[in-house]
Amino acid sequence: MIHFKKKPRVAFFDFACCEGCQLSVLEMEEKLLDLLSHVEVVEWREVMSEKSDEYDIAFCEGSITRKRDVERIQSIRERAETLVSLGACASISCHNALKNRWPMKEVVEMVYGDSGGHIDTIPARPVSDVVPVDYQIRGCPVSLPEFETVFKHILTGQSYDPPNQPVCVECKLNDTLCVYEKGMVCLGPVTRCGCNAVCTAYGDACQGCRGLIDEANTEAPARVLFREDLHPIMAEVARKNPLTRKEILAKFTVYNDTSEPDEEEESSDDNA
Amino acid sequence: MTAPENRVIPASNFTRFLEAIMAEQPVIGPRERPDQPGFYRFGRLARAEDFAPDYGTTTVPPKKTFAALREKLFSFTLDSPPELDLHFDSSPFVLLGIHPCDLSGIDALDHAYSQPPAEVRWTANRRRASLIGLDCRPDSYCFCTQVGTESNRNPCDLFLTPMEDGYLVEVHSDAGAALLEKADTRKAGEEDEAAAEQWRREKAAGIVPEFDAPVEKIADILEVGGLTPVWKETADRCYSCGSCNTTCPTCFCFDMVDDIEPDLSGGARYRTWDSCQLLDFALVASGHNFRGERWQRVRHRWQRKFLYLYRQFDRPYCTGCGRCSRACTADINLVDVANRLIAAAQKEA
Ligand code: SF4
Ligand code: SF4
Ligand code: SF4
Ligand code: SF4
Ligand code: SF4
Repeated sequence: MIHFKKKPRVAFFDFACCEGCQLSVLEMEEKLLDLLSHVEVVEWREVMSEKSDEYDIAFCEGSITRKRDVERIQSIRERAETLVSLGACASISCHNALKNRWPMKEVVEMVYGDSGGHIDTIPARPVSDVVPVDYQIRGCPVSLPEFETVFKHILTGQSYDPPNQPVCVECKLNDTLCVYEKGMVCLGPVTRCGCNAVCTAYGDACQGCRGLIDEANTEAPARVLFREDLHPIMAEVARKNPLTRKEILAKFTVYNDTSEPDEEEESSDDNA
Repeated sequence: MTAPENRVIPASNFTRFLEAIMAEQPVIGPRERPDQPGFYRFGRLARAEDFAPDYGTTTVPPKKTFAALREKLFSFTLDSPPELDLHFDSSPFVLLGIHPCDLSGIDALDHAYSQPPAEVRWTANRRRASLIGLDCRPDSYCFCTQVGTESNRNPCDLFLTPMEDGYLVEVHSDAGAALLEKADTRKAGEEDEAAAEQWRREKAAGIVPEFDAPVEKIADILEVGGLTPVWKETADRCYSCGSCNTTCPTCFCFDMVDDIEPDLSGGARYRTWDSCQLLDFALVASGHNFRGERWQRVRHRWQRKFLYLYRQFDRPYCTGCGRCSRACTADINLVDVANRLIAAAQKEA
């Protein structure tokens, strides 16, 4: 049994996101109480009104998407011994990165017309692009078993690497029917697992919310679907999904838009 | 044992036979997936009617009954010294409805896992089970005739060939004979044997994919090498997703991971199936990956199936089940690639 001399202090913070990951964590209910019994929670806007500037472990949800987010995450980093990026927005920018395709000025105009002059917006970035991150919990929302695993790794002083295997691995370990067999297209082969292939277990395709695996073969879908002489299963997939290259790319970019943040905006924010 | 005569069990008696077995021990067999008609997986039968005798190839092979997809090996406490608790189950069960190719897969693992140091869990679980094989109809991915497994009976206790009403039953062990005593059967006549023979002929005639050279030649071709263009071309669209391994009845690699209980009092070591196609499979402590290129991993799969293990165990480590080709979301077909290798070698020569 592990005993701590002093309970580590834990704080939760959010940046640009829907706060769904924090809410998911609360759904752990009794298990969460078990985990939290080892720590002292000092700030967590979703569940308590107390705040604190002193904490050891900071869970940070959301993307960095304003100049003042940069300052805030830097000050959190200075205070926390351990910093965790919680969820897809914090770990891979998620949908927030979709705006990075346009200049920030246009983005503001698209949303606020000509009344957005005061909006402080910069290209969305994951937390790890701004400050060093010790632990990453991916997913939109986070997978609770993985949250638990990471929490225990932090408490026991072990490092944790988000799994670098595609969702297909977990699909098979669950003996789930591959959605390709039902004529659907799925991002599982290029997406990091760790969610226990939850979407495919319910018969849905993976949307790629946990980000790409290392060296993901993102060229493969087009190389496969546009082939002649496909075997029966893939022929049926191609027939049911007459996708253009652009549409295939669109599937990838819902969670994984890799458009480079606008250069000019980048440099102005560096000066901030 | 001396080869006993074949028996015939009519369909209605077969249900009663199953019920009699199920009254004594669990029966694991092919079942239709709930909400996914036409797709099957191996699972415990709740009722005799759950048995789906005309099932098509399952996603994951029945080897999962002997080496679970995810398995707790032992639990431990975080005291010093830690207390270990090994998890072993010794209760008997029946594995029903195994196609000849999948019997061959079990045979392949019996060989591989009995190499010293023997895999004790596999051996222990194998001893728990009686095996009842079942003949089948090929789908367009099946190629058992190309690796000689289409009429394989090893290892099984009983083997069923579907007939108009019921099954022709071959008895392959004393355990099988004892099991069959629960059934109301009759001696198989010439007509019954002819019907079973007809089934096998039709089955063999239904196989579509064909190797362009005998399977033993593929070992020689792989040994000579010079096939990099084929590997690279195949790797171009391979995702390195591992599905070709995690569905393969002869693959035996696994990974292990420890997990700690939320109250931090102890934990357990788990084992899961692994795959040599995954990027980090051959990553070692220094950070070196000895199959870091996708094409090297692709090559490795064919070398394992048709060269290394072929030489070591004198049989291809491929049963012709077609699962890898079926599961491949890049539509990489094992027989197609083998034929491209054969063609490349012929061009060289
Ligand atoms: S359903 Fe998706 S994640 Fe699962 S095996 Fe098929 S492609 Fe991979
Ligand atoms: S299956 Fe895909 S979309 Fe679903 S939770 Fe996992 S990574 Fe996200
Ligand atoms: S490969 Fe042969 S033995 Fe296996 S399921 Fe297909 S037809 Fe049956
Ligand atoms: S299943 Fe297909 S895409 Fe996946 S690793 Fe195997 S060959 Fe490559
Ligand atoms: S290599 Fe493919 S066809 Fe051969 S046994 Fe494995 S999954 Fe079946």
